[in-house]
Amino acid sequence: MKDFISVSPLRILEKSSHKGLGPGNLGVLVARAGVGKTACLIHIAFDKIFRQEKLVHVSLEEGPEKVASYYNVIYCDLLKALHLNDDDEYRFLMERNRMTLAYLNQSFDLERLEANLKNLTERLDFKPDTLIVDGLDFEKVEREVFEGLKKIALEFETEIWFSALSHRHISETSEKGIPYPCDRFDDLFSIIIQLQPEQTGIFLKLLKDHDRYQIPENSIRLDPNTFLALS
Amino acid sequence: MDEIQNLRNIGISAHIDSGKTTLTERILYFTKRIFAIHEVKGKDGVGATMDSMELEKERGITIASATTHCEWKGHRINIIDTPGHVDFTIEVERALRVMDGAVLILCSVGGVQSQSITVDRQMNRYQVPRIAFINKCDRSGADPYKVVDQLRQKLNHNAVLMQIPIGLESKLSGVVDLVSMKALYFEGPNGDEIRVDEIPDTIIDEALARREEMLDAASMFSDDLMESIFAESVTPDLIYAAVRQGTVSRQLTPVFLGSAYKNIGVQAVLDGVNRYLPSPTDVKNVALDIDRDETEIPLEADPDKPVVALAFKLEVTPYGQLTYLRVYQGSISKGDDIIITRTGKKIKVGRLVRMHADQMEDLTSASAGDIVALFGVECYSGDTFTSGGINYSMSSMFVPEPVISLSIAPEDNKSQNNMSKALNRFVREDPTFKSYVDQESGETIISGMGELHLEVYVERMKREFNAEVATGIPQVAYREAITKHADFDYTHKKQTGGSGQFGRVAGFMEPSEEAAYEFVNQIKGGVIPTEYVPSVDKGFQSCLKKGLTLGFPVAGMKVTVNDGKSHSVDSSELAFTQAAIGAFKQAYMRAKPVILEPVMKVSVEGPSEFQGNIMGSINQRRGLITSSTEDGNFTTIDAEVPLAEMFGYATVLRSLTQGRAEFTMEFQKYSKVPESLSEELKSNLRKKSKGEK
Repeated sequence: MKDFISVSPLRILEKSSHKGLGPGNLGVLVARAGVGKTACLIHIAFDKIFRQEKLVHVSLEEGPEKVASYYNVIYCDLLKALHLNDDDEYRFLMERNRMTLAYLNQSFDLERLEANLKNLTERLDFKPDTLIVDGLDFEKVEREVFEGLKKIALEFETEIWFSALSHRHISETSEKGIPYPCDRFDDLFSIIIQLQPEQTGIFLKLLKDHDRYQIPENSIRLDPNTFLALS
Repeated sequence: MDEIQNLRNIGISAHIDSGKTTLTERILYFTKRIFAIHEVKGKDGVGATMDSMELEKERGITIASATTHCEWKGHRINIIDTPGHVDFTIEVERALRVMDGAVLILCSVGGVQSQSITVDRQMNRYQVPRIAFINKCDRSGADPYKVVDQLRQKLNHNAVLMQIPIGLESKLSGVVDLVSMKALYFEGPNGDEIRVDEIPDTIIDEALARREEMLDAASMFSDDLMESIFAESVTPDLIYAAVRQGTVSRQLTPVFLGSAYKNIGVQAVLDGVNRYLPSPTDVKNVALDIDRDETEIPLEADPDKPVVALAFKLEVTPYGQLTYLRVYQGSISKGDDIIITRTGKKIKVGRLVRMHADQMEDLTSASAGDIVALFGVECYSGDTFTSGGINYSMSSMFVPEPVISLSIAPEDNKSQNNMSKALNRFVREDPTFKSYVDQESGETIISGMGELHLEVYVERMKREFNAEVATGIPQVAYREAITKHADFDYTHKKQTGGSGQFGRVAGFMEPSEEAAYEFVNQIKGGVIPTEYVPSVDKGFQSCLKKGLTLGFPVAGMKVTVNDGKSHSVDSSELAFTQAAIGAFKQAYMRAKPVILEPVMKVSVEGPSEFQGNIMGSINQRRGLITSSTEDGNFTTIDAEVPLAEMFGYATVLRSLTQGRAEFTMEFQKYSKVPESLSEELKSNLRKKSKGEK
């Protein structure tokens, strides 16, 4: 398990003063299309799963089979990169600690998510430590939705990670250095990380760490093929 | 060759109750195979033509697939109607094995439901191109656009609408054909007369937008169409060719819509079958050459080549056994000699017929691509026939292992005889249905793919064979498996006067994920003479039937024999078989055996308000919920649940959800039984065996 955690992109949070996002908080990974947001989010998910924490993957675009196949592909890449063999123990952790909630055809709303999480907690004794929300359109979503999600994070004592799509042609950033489209809600997010391709590789940059902005020494480099942290 | 190109072998598959049999009935009516329409569960008491079994008529579901044949606009179409319930999956699998294309029917209210996903997965396995028909657009709550989105999201189809509806629900009056950009209205008492008209103004914008989407998708498969779009000179033929290209290569799914019940849109589906689904010459089929180490040999749909045909379904009729056959290559005529590859037995083709549900039409010959039936041929389902000179076998069909069993006992002497006859017939017809006599209890056991599967056979025994049988409690097919490596070194020695018995076997056993049983011969220097090695293998195999923990069959074991000893006088086949049995007993318990149970992939679908109840019910059954999908007002919960916990679930689910949820399940894997349950099983078996004594 330690092998997985040692190369997780979440190592970026070693640079965080709180060493993580923490229950009740929202975090976001912002990047342009095709850079690897979903892959990076799934790496965050694996980090949690292999720490034996409970994870709920909330998908707003893809059905559960596709989500499961993303996890499988990344899991196989992980094994390959770490020269590990497939092991029943890893599979067991993935089966027991991950749950997918998919919302197709615009069927996502806060009330529904809250009811679903309640059912998971009460009926299955599956109390999530982390929620991964993939596919929420930051350009269209109103502020109230994030406020509602923050309430849910507090109510269920869970941390919630999102991915946000930025655009090459919109280069505006807020005074605090937060890029569009996260600049409108940056006060609601405790951690904001940017995934940025550069000539020397892909970099994760910590743009916001709880109440700190413009953090010095804020980045780690990722392997462009596997999205694993490079030492 | 022209004739083959105008031949279509299609399956009609979908979720139960989405209208398969109704659509087939309409197709038969419009192709003039029947002259009146009878409804499933109809008030006229006749029942739909394809539901030929009495039980099917009564329950309103299709159990055994009936083949039928019709003609539409110069094309011959062989149709296999298939069952919708997952317990009868072997019927669906068989149909797909011999089909070149399929019509996937979806309900415009229910959309893509769990059974549609199962059927779709099966179609992918057999690489069957399909077109979709969204049925029941006249029903309240109909939303064909939502269903198209579900086809894309849930089934990953590149689905493209070829039509849009004119009105919906009770106002459905016709469809707009996006190729000709004309409105089609189906008039006359049974929708026989198609009136072509201009598109109503209210939906012209929608039609233009959807046509553009369709052209965009189709143009990916044809440069000519792409160029004609730029030049604004698109013709229907260019669209047909491009959509056909995409469909045959399984990269595009053209979608039609309507209401089979209200006779709206059925003729257009038939046009779609002719235009977009492949002919036998468009599909690559291969056989295995038995004489050349099962090398794959491509078959050609050429009537002049040697015959290769597959028996895909058997049915025992009052006139004898009927064998449904798909001819892949060559042609078969009445009076020809053909050979069954499995047995090498030569048979003469007697009566050759083309089936139309339970009626038949006599033929003198059948050519490559055709689906026909032979009378009076003794064979098994899955047998390959050739004309001799070649020793080909069609690749075997995927046959899942039975997961549930039930003891049955005849209620009187007359039933005893009839029950045997019935079982003999069912076993030949259905490879997923098995029957045997338990040597210890003397009970007759039947096994199959689910409760309903066995229930239907018990019913058929009563109705068709007059065999009244009492049934026991359904039993799960448990297995034993070792978990560790264990060595053995056993010498079988017996001296009883005269020549004795001597054999020593040494090596190890270990778990195997590759196969149910593997035997590896690593004997060097002939310490066990070659002629006795098969007896060693046989000895180990005989032990697999009954594990030493609880007496369940052993699965997933690899045995390696690497040493041994023989005696020039006392060694024999029997001695080495006994030595292997002793070696198995010596090592088995040291290899830490565990009990395995079948785990089913369960999908429950119901209104979202019942999500909590459904989750709770699965959790109570040792189920592992993997996902929950919200779509509209419905939730689908996917889970893995031990089969032992699923008995009677239908009733529980009904009461938990006011009858508004349904579930499907199929076998997924064998998993270790938890320690506490394993103990319980042991104590139950102990009690049972004490009781018997």
